[in-house]
Amino acid sequence: MSALKNKNCNYISNKEIKITFDGRSYSAYEGDTIASALLRNNIRLIGRSFKYHRPRGIYTCGIEEPNALVQILNEHNEPNTRATIKRAYEGINICSQNRWPSLSFDIGSINNILSPIFSAGFYYKTFMGPKGFWKKIYEPLIRRTAGLGKPPKNFRSKSIHQNHNVDILIVGGGLSGLLAARKLIDTDKQVLLVEQDSFLGGILNNSNKVKKIDGKNTFEWIQETEKLILKSNNIKILKNTLVTTYNFTNHLIALEDKFSGKKIDINKSELTLHKIRTTHTILANGHIERFISFRNNDLPGVMLASSFEKYIERYGVVPDEKPAIFTNNSSTISLVKSLINLNCKPCAYIDSRKKEDIEDETKEYLIKNNIPFYPESEVEGCEGNKKVEKVFIRNNSNKISSINSSMLCPSGGFNPDIHLFTQSKGLVKWDEKINSFKPDTAFQNTITLGSVSGNYEFKNLCEEINKKLSFLKVKDLNPEIETNIRDDFSIEELWETKTDKTSKWAKSFIDLHNDVTTKDLKQAINEGYDRIEHLKRYTTNSMGTDQGKISSINSLGIVSKILNKKISEVGTTTYRPPYAPLSFAAIAGRSTYEYYDPERKTPIHNWHIKNNAVFEDVGQWKRPWYFKKHETETMHQAVQRESKQTRRSAGILDGSTLGKIEIKGKDALEFMNLMYTNAFTKMKPMTSRYALMLGEDGMIMDDGIICKINDKHFIATTTSGGAPKVFAHMEEFLQTEWPHLQVYLNSITEQFTTFNISGPRTREIMRKVFTDIDFNNEKFPFMTFKTFNYKNTEARIMRASFTGELGYEIYISPQYALELWELIFKHGKDFDLVPYGTETMHLLRAEKGYVVIGQETDGTVTPIDINFNWMIGKKKKDFIGKRSLTRSDTVRDDRKQLVGIIPLNKSQFIEEGQHVVECENLPNKIKTPVEYLGHISSSYHSPNLNHCISMAMVKGGNKLMGKKLFVSTPKGTKNIPVEIVNPVFIDPENKRLTS
Amino acid sequence: MILINCPYCGEREQSEFTNGGEAHVIRPKDPDILNDKDWGQYVFYRSNPKGIFYERWVHTHGCRKWFNVVRDTSTDTILKIYKLTDNKPDISEFQSTLKSPSGEPIVGSGNFAVKK
Ligand SMILES: [Zn+2]
Repeated sequence: MSALKNKNCNYISNKEIKITFDGRSYSAYEGDTIASALLRNNIRLIGRSFKYHRPRGIYTCGIEEPNALVQILNEHNEPNTRATIKRAYEGINICSQNRWPSLSFDIGSINNILSPIFSAGFYYKTFMGPKGFWKKIYEPLIRRTAGLGKPPKNFRSKSIHQNHNVDILIVGGGLSGLLAARKLIDTDKQVLLVEQDSFLGGILNNSNKVKKIDGKNTFEWIQETEKLILKSNNIKILKNTLVTTYNFTNHLIALEDKFSGKKIDINKSELTLHKIRTTHTILANGHIERFISFRNNDLPGVMLASSFEKYIERYGVVPDEKPAIFTNNSSTISLVKSLINLNCKPCAYIDSRKKEDIEDETKEYLIKNNIPFYPESEVEGCEGNKKVEKVFIRNNSNKISSINSSMLCPSGGFNPDIHLFTQSKGLVKWDEKINSFKPDTAFQNTITLGSVSGNYEFKNLCEEINKKLSFLKVKDLNPEIETNIRDDFSIEELWETKTDKTSKWAKSFIDLHNDVTTKDLKQAINEGYDRIEHLKRYTTNSMGTDQGKISSINSLGIVSKILNKKISEVGTTTYRPPYAPLSFAAIAGRSTYEYYDPERKTPIHNWHIKNNAVFEDVGQWKRPWYFKKHETETMHQAVQRESKQTRRSAGILDGSTLGKIEIKGKDALEFMNLMYTNAFTKMKPMTSRYALMLGEDGMIMDDGIICKINDKHFIATTTSGGAPKVFAHMEEFLQTEWPHLQVYLNSITEQFTTFNISGPRTREIMRKVFTDIDFNNEKFPFMTFKTFNYKNTEARIMRASFTGELGYEIYISPQYALELWELIFKHGKDFDLVPYGTETMHLLRAEKGYVVIGQETDGTVTPIDINFNWMIGKKKKDFIGKRSLTRSDTVRDDRKQLVGIIPLNKSQFIEEGQHVVECENLPNKIKTPVEYLGHISSSYHSPNLNHCISMAMVKGGNKLMGKKLFVSTPKGTKNIPVEIVNPVFIDPENKRLTS
Repeated sequence: MILINCPYCGEREQSEFTNGGEAHVIRPKDPDILNDKDWGQYVFYRSNPKGIFYERWVHTHGCRKWFNVVRDTSTDTILKIYKLTDNKPDISEFQSTLKSPSGEPIVGSGNFAVKK
């Protein structure tokens, strides 16, 4: 640790800690950020740039950092961490990013030589280029070398969300924020003060500018203020919390790092996402220094002047004892004073302003301390091997001289940090005096105080705060703020300095993070991208994770010069949340892994597990997909076995997930007639019917079986995934279109457990289980149901089938579901009963040609398209979607219609999703599109027919019966020859169904 | 996320609600007498103005009631909330409250700093 430690540094303890960077161990102090720790150890080179892999160092001392991104190996390999804000702790293990094979020798830096191909619009142009060129040259190169850190490993977030409702939110605990808070102490306002750092004070800790407040030194004043706030009962402070988002209706999002400067405890939540609703928002979030573009302004050793001062004042680190300072404004003199106070001395003070514009105090101070002074001059560029070695200075007579210096501190002025203000939809205005945008008209109840409002002068601060907060009717505060520097702010516009040198290496950057040069801006404008929003996207300027915090206004300045317009005419790009990257883990909160979405299980679930079910997710439901009879049985074997056994004897499916809705009321019949295509008026009580629900566009929305108990009472089933949608659809029409109908809806999905039992031997099993019920075909025919009492609960058995076999659906209270299921198995043993899962259900229904909503249909299919004309109550005056069935588009006879398809060669298998075409082979190179006739919607190997059966939606399919066509395959160009057939493959006469 | 004042439950977060598109689109009493164009107009066409918009919302994760909202789509400001049984408020009620942050044009968005 050769760099100095400032004795007056209040937030760095004397406790030494060990950190590891790129495998080497270094000493640091508790309170250090990674950046201050590395600077303390004289480490300048910290990463490689995004595109050209140029060596980069620490550029700033805060959230605005574009270069110093590192990977934290001991925190799930967390990438892209800003070294300038992440606090170090004992044992932290850090690794540099975006370099290969090593930081000091990086092969990707060849991109720097290839830079002409990486210029503005590179991505757009390259993607447009010849295919082979992209694949062989660019892609491998980019994949190897581009990108930032590596993704986290074994990551499991424990972040939580917290809500706040307050009267006033103060964003920023710097001087302005603390003054505002002091005014609000012990008032009737509930106040939340949010500070991104782990301590309060902001500018008071960052620089030497303020000497005393109310006669107290700044540290004492901060301590006193914090004590007063903590003692009050109406103000709460959140430290280590960054406001990232300012939404409508004064809703703000802030992220708290619970383990700042500490090793993460994996048993505790590491992040808290605060959701804050407030009546008034006080933005006191300060300003950000901007840089100046000059030749090689990215070399390690270039660091913004105020950041340099921040390292001295906050962390007690002097990154360099004699840096060169380059400025266009009055504030930089405080850095000189900070250095002189530590017996250090800048090797040059370069001020672009005219001699007469430079403050007398500054001139006198520089002369008094014998500091080489270059007024009316600018830095032409700098050079050196992976670090600044030489700085080139151009004076007002255009002469370039060079000096030796290992560090260069530019200051291009300050931007009020208007990000949050513009997120809130406030309007900004260009201010010539500060040479930047500042807040103008607030759109919400937003107040800006201090430097964020464009007020850089401490002497006006109290007046500003008193005035802007006067509407709150709180007492005025007028503490005396004593400063070390002259307080008037003066700046000269300067965005880029002139350079004559041209070489492949010489670059003047405008966006350090995304490696965008000022030349790229010029080129893009030449190519016609002269609107700022286009220019941004074309060049990727300010699109990095730092969002161009130190440079985006500079690019406006440069563009305005090229276009010969005022900056206010060029305008800003839109600032969008988040202010700084927000990890997905924080947004997800507790909604991760098993908590992401609830899991719904049927009452039979544990039985399924015991019987080796493999589960499938259907919506939120866990459904048995198939049952493994023995360890080595494959899914295909299981499904073939289950299907065969069901058709041979009997099978049972847990159908509890089926949606169930009870419809009751005086007008239930009328309502059902309107909701479904079918006619229910003539339907006899205690019978059931397969029914279709359409959207108003005539497209099938859902299907189900409707049980009519009487004209005032119906029970409808829906598809497992469709229940909430169907229920909401019914509610909507009842409330919005037909409020005069007296109908009550009740979701009873979970009130009844459902078993679907089917197969030729089903009746025998049912007779054994339900001894009181007459299952005779005449007494209990197809599509009728009976209700009965089962242990004092109402149960229902319906004769229906989704397999095409004789079948019953049993609806039973969940309370007795498992015991009944087991009872059925006890009796079923003698009749070869098999449990089957959803895959077998799908196979069996496909053999019978039954459609599945969402598989055969996709929101563009009408009942007529799947030959369901018989289900349409044509005599009904109206039902939802009826009129659409006679629209010119829905009556076309070349619509895609449901057909069956079988391969001519019975040993071939057709894949779902493949295309039905007319050609035997696909061309090797597709020059003109191959005409597409339709697609395969379902396809199975039928164990009962012993060949592949498919259902497909094919253009004009009804007229193609018997026709030979082809179906594409996932591999190769040879198509499968097939025949179009009727989609009912088994029992077209319904003999089994009604037996 | 905006707050919506459900007329039955009170103010709740937007995530509890579902937007139901344009309000006051009345389902034709006798669809069969409409020609394709008129029926298509009812089924497929909705207005999408920048500015004052009458729309429907349902309190999905609450009372499940439908109600109407007048919202300024350019600022997301809710101007009025009323029950389905209430009369449609006249547009003249709202004209004066329309305040786009930037005086943006009828179409388009963004880059409002220029227009001041
Ligand atoms: Zn409600």
